[in-house]
Amino acid sequence: MNEGPKRDFIAKPDDLVLITGATGFIGSRLVSNLLDRGFRNLRCLARRSSGVDRLEAIRRSVAARARLEVVSGNLLSRDDCMRATAGAAVIYHVAAGRGEKFIPDAFLNSVVTTRNLMEAAIKQQSVKRFVNVSSFTVYSNIDNPKGRLLDEEGAVEKNPEKRKDAYCFAKVKQDEMVREYGDQHGLPYVIVRPGYVYGPGNEGMTFRVGIGTCGLYLHLGGSNTIPITYVDNCAEAIALAGLTPGVDGEVFNVVDNDLPSSRWLLRQYKKNVRRFASIYVPHALSYALCCGWEWYSEWSQGQLPPVFSRKEWHASWKKTRYSNQKLKTRLGWEPKVPTSEGLRRHLEACRLRGVHG
Amino acid sequence: MVRSAIVGCGKIADSHAHQMQRINGCEIVGVCDTEPLMARQLADRFPVRECFSDLAELLKEARPDVVHITTPPQSHFGIAKLCLEAGCHVYVEKPFTVNEQEAERLIALADRKKLKLTAGHDDQFRHAARRMRKVIQNGYLGDGPVHMESYYCYEIGHSGYAGAILGDPQHWVRRLPGKLLHNIISHGIARIAEHLVGEMPDVIAYGFVSPHLRKRGESEIIDELRVIISDEQRNTAYFTFSSQMRPDLHQFRIYGSKNGLVLDQDQETVIRLPGKRMISYAEKFLPPLITAGEYVRNVAANLRTFVSNDFHMKSGMKHLIESFYQSIAENTPVPIPYREILMTARIMDSIFAQLETNEPRARKFLVAEARKA
Repeated sequence: MNEGPKRDFIAKPDDLVLITGATGFIGSRLVSNLLDRGFRNLRCLARRSSGVDRLEAIRRSVAARARLEVVSGNLLSRDDCMRATAGAAVIYHVAAGRGEKFIPDAFLNSVVTTRNLMEAAIKQQSVKRFVNVSSFTVYSNIDNPKGRLLDEEGAVEKNPEKRKDAYCFAKVKQDEMVREYGDQHGLPYVIVRPGYVYGPGNEGMTFRVGIGTCGLYLHLGGSNTIPITYVDNCAEAIALAGLTPGVDGEVFNVVDNDLPSSRWLLRQYKKNVRRFASIYVPHALSYALCCGWEWYSEWSQGQLPPVFSRKEWHASWKKTRYSNQKLKTRLGWEPKVPTSEGLRRHLEACRLRGVHG
Repeated sequence: MVRSAIVGCGKIADSHAHQMQRINGCEIVGVCDTEPLMARQLADRFPVRECFSDLAELLKEARPDVVHITTPPQSHFGIAKLCLEAGCHVYVEKPFTVNEQEAERLIALADRKKLKLTAGHDDQFRHAARRMRKVIQNGYLGDGPVHMESYYCYEIGHSGYAGAILGDPQHWVRRLPGKLLHNIISHGIARIAEHLVGEMPDVIAYGFVSPHLRKRGESEIIDELRVIISDEQRNTAYFTFSSQMRPDLHQFRIYGSKNGLVLDQDQETVIRLPGKRMISYAEKFLPPLITAGEYVRNVAANLRTFVSNDFHMKSGMKHLIESFYQSIAENTPVPIPYREILMTARIMDSIFAQLETNEPRARKFLVAEARKA
């Protein structure tokens, strides 16, 4: 544990820091990270349905040195948002409509909630920074030539409705909302876009490696580099994005060092978690299948749901390189957990849970 | 050209917009939601002329012929009333209203205004359901139904929808008289209501919170329901709702005096069950073969439908909307008779009233008899 913030941060140890989605996979690690940095006044907003046992345990363990307030509320309620943001100096907006299959649900739980939270933050006038946790899914990658670098300058999906991915649509609109409100109302913000966040608590394998269907695993990633970040490293990046001076309005992608290839990752899963049948689908073939699926889905007016498309292929399965240079130079971020150790812990957790995605 | 509008821009509104898009001569002239962002996201993804956050404005400015109401059920009555008063025909998502009384009032108002109403019982118009209806109309059952069994299950799991309801004591589903059941069972009840005779069926309901939900700390949401229904001619039906049984069936079985039929909504099959027994050992070999042939026939029918590009997940909704619009254009009877809408509401009211007191009528009856003795 650190004794206090050692670097020159925009928030002091006693300033109030609000974390939404604090009971979640990333949010709970962010809380621990901030406490370890010496922040002593945290407020965690959690849905009534979220299990707050873990947070309560942390609260009790740090009671002597820090105030950890667990507020039950719903971001769809403007009153709850006002209550949660009262007096906050930094807001980490980690809560997201993840796992929603339908666009309206994902939109409601990502965009409407973000609008409510930002409106409340603007009214409070105490907020020095609003950190919006977004995702790699917002990048279209369509104009990026094969094998090129995808960094923070990468184009965001212009027509997310055509991707037919509820999470992508919601996250693109959420980022737009953050920029719009931030710029119009002078609310300082930073957007953080993690790659696939892995670690114990999120056992499974990203669809960038492949997808399981009808008892068979289609390996689509091949030799692609997979943009992953271990949950503690991701929490570190998010924490720094909310505290480092001079980065207002910036976007930060979060990926770890030494990113593995899809093939290597799949091999490690099979070796360490469990064996299962998989078939490698070469890129040319997966692209052709996506084209065919997209054509048929459009022609048939959705008789086959448009889950595969050229846009999806470019975003998920095209060979691409990634960088964490901006994170390192602007935020001074370094991964706390090396990829080899992170994957070891993750695969161990997967083995115990017996899952592969 | 039918000028349509959608009020309420949540998940089910997407299905409406998608199916309306597939109907020739239908234009979505407006969408409305009290949350403007929700109206905008729908309009961003479908060809919609205008967005509104105020119903009165939508009715005045977009001037729709038909309004589709896809809001939470508590608001159905009020919104439908306003739409009818503004001269619009109305498609109300299921459950039609919160109770039978509201349904009666809406139907009376529609009749007075010479407008039409329908309920979102779109499962009744899926391919298999229509095939079954045709077989019944051709007299396959004999002298009408003797007994029916309707299964309408729902896997709660950890889905977003269930999670939201279970985790939020203020969720709108909890404020419905029948809570979770109220929002789901009307499809399964409507299947029975279609074939019941008379006006006042007897209903005996038994429901409870499953041990699974109890473990998750839930004590209010009833997710297991068994119902016995009997109409005035003593045609009977069982209705089952379960969140725990597997497979989570969406099935309807109907037995007549001659033969029976089994509709499986998930597999989109209608299996004929011949009532005539075969002699001796033939009964052990031939009926399974005949049933296998029935499945092959259904697979072929499904393949034909798929190839002809009419096998969409919500094909029933498209057919219902088309039939409703046609009934408006040609001033013919509505696709779902009002009697069936009211009967469904009546049965549901009776179920929820019994669950409210947590005492099935059968048990009440037994207790009363015991006291008499």
